[in-house]
Amino acid sequence: MNYLSLSLVELHNLIVSGKVTPEQLVKDSLELARKDNNNAFEYICEKEAIEEVKNLDPKLKDSIFYGIPIVIKDNFSTKDIPTTGSSNILKGYIPLFSSEVALRLKKAGAILIGKTTLDELAMGGSGTTGHLGTTFNPWDPTHQHLIGGSSCGSAAAISGGIVPFAVGSDTGDSVRKPANNAGLVGFKPTWGRISRYGLFPFATSLDHVAYFNRTVEDAALTLNVLAGRDEKDASSSLVPVVDFVKNINDSIKGKKIAVIKEIVDSINNKTIIDAFNKSINMLRDNGAIVDEVSVDIKLLKAIYPTYIIISCAEATSNNANLDGIKFGNRIEGDSFEQVMINTRNNGFSELIKRRFVIGSFSLLSENANELFIRAQKCRRLIVDAFNKVFENYDAIYCPASPSAAPLMDSVSDTLSNEYLIADNYLAYGNMGGFPSITLPIGFENGLPFGANLTAKPFDESNLLKIANSLEKATGLSSLVAGKEK
Amino acid sequence: MEYTAVIGLEIHVEMKTKSKMFSSSPVSYGFDPNTNVSVVDMAFPGTMPTVNKQAVINAIRVSNALHMSIDDTVIFERKNYFYSDLPKGYQITQQFRPIGSNGYLTINTSNGEKKIRVERLHMEEDTCKQLHSWDFSLLDYNRAGIPLIEIVSKPDLTSGEEAAKYVEKIRSIVSFLDVSDGKMEEGSLRCDVNVSIKEKGSDKLGTKVEIKNLNSIANIQTAIDFEINRQALVLDCGGKIEQETRRFDEGSQETVIMRLKTDAVDYKYFTEPNIPPIKLSKEFIEDAIKSSPELAEARLIRYKELGLNDYDSSLLLVNKETSDYFDKALLSKANPKLIANWVIGDVQSYLNKNNISISNFKVDPLMLGKLVNLISEGKVSSKQAKDIFAEMINSNEDPETIISKSGTSQVSDESALLPIITVLLDANPNLIADYKAGKDRVLGFFVGQVMKQTQGKANPSLTSKLIIEEMNRR
Amino acid sequence: MKEVNESVLQEAANKLMFSLKDDEVQRLLIEFKHIIKQMELIGEIENVDKVEPMTFPFDVTNSFLREDKTSEPLKREDALKNAKDVVDGQIRLPKVVG
Repeated sequence: MNYLSLSLVELHNLIVSGKVTPEQLVKDSLELARKDNNNAFEYICEKEAIEEVKNLDPKLKDSIFYGIPIVIKDNFSTKDIPTTGSSNILKGYIPLFSSEVALRLKKAGAILIGKTTLDELAMGGSGTTGHLGTTFNPWDPTHQHLIGGSSCGSAAAISGGIVPFAVGSDTGDSVRKPANNAGLVGFKPTWGRISRYGLFPFATSLDHVAYFNRTVEDAALTLNVLAGRDEKDASSSLVPVVDFVKNINDSIKGKKIAVIKEIVDSINNKTIIDAFNKSINMLRDNGAIVDEVSVDIKLLKAIYPTYIIISCAEATSNNANLDGIKFGNRIEGDSFEQVMINTRNNGFSELIKRRFVIGSFSLLSENANELFIRAQKCRRLIVDAFNKVFENYDAIYCPASPSAAPLMDSVSDTLSNEYLIADNYLAYGNMGGFPSITLPIGFENGLPFGANLTAKPFDESNLLKIANSLEKATGLSSLVAGKEK
Repeated sequence: MEYTAVIGLEIHVEMKTKSKMFSSSPVSYGFDPNTNVSVVDMAFPGTMPTVNKQAVINAIRVSNALHMSIDDTVIFERKNYFYSDLPKGYQITQQFRPIGSNGYLTINTSNGEKKIRVERLHMEEDTCKQLHSWDFSLLDYNRAGIPLIEIVSKPDLTSGEEAAKYVEKIRSIVSFLDVSDGKMEEGSLRCDVNVSIKEKGSDKLGTKVEIKNLNSIANIQTAIDFEINRQALVLDCGGKIEQETRRFDEGSQETVIMRLKTDAVDYKYFTEPNIPPIKLSKEFIEDAIKSSPELAEARLIRYKELGLNDYDSSLLLVNKETSDYFDKALLSKANPKLIANWVIGDVQSYLNKNNISISNFKVDPLMLGKLVNLISEGKVSSKQAKDIFAEMINSNEDPETIISKSGTSQVSDESALLPIITVLLDANPNLIADYKAGKDRVLGFFVGQVMKQTQGKANPSLTSKLIIEEMNRR
Repeated sequence: MKEVNESVLQEAANKLMFSLKDDEVQRLLIEFKHIIKQMELIGEIENVDKVEPMTFPFDVTNSFLREDKTSEPLKREDALKNAKDVVDGQIRLPKVVG
């Protein structure tokens, strides 16, 4: 039996009862990582993981992560372990410090077995733009369908059965979209709930630490480990942390759930709509009140351009430290300017450069009012519109994507509602900092797809309760590629 | 043509906090390069800024000293540009909401008092230091992230003298508030000047020229006066003032052109998203002000209440260290005027002669106070005190220890003096008669004789009192 | 707003310390015109220019300030470990001309 296909809870029970040892798990996981043919890894911690599991503190035995092999997206700083952000510009960079997330997981007994690929510097959604090339979807051995990004390697590692847990980051939908494509639970807690210290910033005001699990319960257990104030991150929240697992099995009777009509209407795929409608009935069967609610379609269509302008603007500035001087892949030149230019020309792909120019242009004083500032104003209108829904509802529920994992060469009509809304609306969760979770609700041609639940800031407890109830009803949990339920 | 100069100053003050503006690595000077650096200062990916509380307190105190309104919400912006000394590719600063705004400063010039309006005061971080050799440059990140205060004046200044007085006043404020060393020579206070001239009486502003590289207050004055004359000459000859950056050349005492100012750089400012707005409570701001160290102005009032005159006070307030030394010596309860005389007299001349600063002066101010007390109590003469003072510098010992070791203490013991006086008077009955007949100078002769016999150790006033008593008895 | 054309974009790129090839500029131009069109649509949304710009996802105002205490700085060899050109404990660059 491949233990690594189990949930955290199942594995933990096996470890505690002595049926499997952390050493064996780490060995197996490393073996699977080596054999990975989906391009999920930037770096495999061969020596480090063996060393760490050897020195694992038995006092941590009660921790859910005790002896659990995990992977972390390669945009989280890890001390003494190369971290590239899947960009050539950081080739050879070995951080001097670990991200708060990596530290907390280590303290909980987790064993890092690898760093995973991403779209270059997390600025993409396809899983095809990292410096190591395309990361593939384990659900499609023919490698024709995308896994999506930017947390592509983490999604591939967990859905491919290499690890039971994977850390990602989510700025627009970078965990929640691949979760849709890979049959996973993808969870992005409230902005500030988990310290971002050590996460390579893409767009600070939208960046969230997020992660993949196989069950909603695992997601709640993980939050118990990662949530909480970190003084190194000034934006880390002072809101008290509760036990997110305690009431997860409570009834959702009377919980009010809003389905946004315009988002659902923008989806053409009948399989998805059918499965989604079926899942609504399940929620109702479990006692929830599900209503259709309208949000101004102009605002929904504005989510994507607003997101692009804000994220590119912040990204331009956030990545200005990548000049080759203090660290990274410096390319020599005759002047300091030429060193910077050569380094950045060599280090960034075209896509990244284009985004930087868009962001920079939007910030110029003569353009800002019509671009950056306007986007920031529009962000407020969008967030206000969703907050208005949350005045009357515990959660918003919609399909996570207009399709299951799309084909590599599929071209979207970038002006269609399907593209502008269904394919990109999840970024509203980042704009408002809302906790947001994607979980599987069905399959199409052997490929999983999911739906998304989002709640108001810091209401993870309610959100996880509803998600858990839905997961129980669909029975779609612990999905691992090649083992379709 | 007659012109009026319009001068505005931007002053950067390096704060002497313990840790940096946005990281907890030490603020230090004179250390080996790159030994006081954290991952935040070098902008390693994923690092984040956290705001130094003391830096905010300092900014509040200086704002208050400049009579500014203080914003109770602290927000930062990013100033985006690429340069070799800028680790992050942006500087965190306060562009849109400076912590202090709309204040003023009063300066005393040869034409009397003048109020200079201060537009804004904000916090930001310093860049790394560059060491240039003939074909390459070396980067030292020890300076990167040191907290700065930038103070921007309104263009209310009209001469080199006024500018010099303004900078002098700012320097005094930041050093008395313990915010900064305020040393221009070492770069902990830096000043950029904008100078333009306009026809006298006209409202039409001239073209602004910026002067950089001013590393002393004297240079500020010289550079501005030179620049005003240069611009006047250009205009008088029918020329045009270019918008340019100039620097002051120490050798020629002139400003020379560095570069023309092309289009203004667009810094693409936006709110620093890593630092949520920080709300300062009313109590926090009030406490910062209430616990603020005493400014020179307040000390001046206190010194005058102690009976010191303006001149002496101003010498004590020449810098914070001297004033602090004096204040500490006051704790000895010795006579303030006498202490002041010592501090601005013997202490200062010793320091000047040996070219050391008072902060490195070995003699404990309390010990100086003790010495002054010994003089007032008549236990040592002024002349002896000078010797004891020299010995205190040498041995770093308590004045009383020095006295008991060398036996230089004044003889103030009546039983020791009386036998000498008795013998002296017995030998000179005719002089006693002269004294009684009104020849006062006889007393001086007797005192002189006693001093001679005691090698100057006799307490003169006691001696004279005893002689008079003894003569009256005869 | 500045008109978006090849030279404006190339200039913006140069200020960001990289350059764009001709075909890259062309692709960027198409992408950008598209975004600007969408932003114009946003400009037509009622009230959009009447609300305050939003930087943070929700009100995150707090009163936390870091105490002014120092922590151990990096060892110099660690601080410079990732730099490619180090001389005398400092990072070397071609001469910076102010």
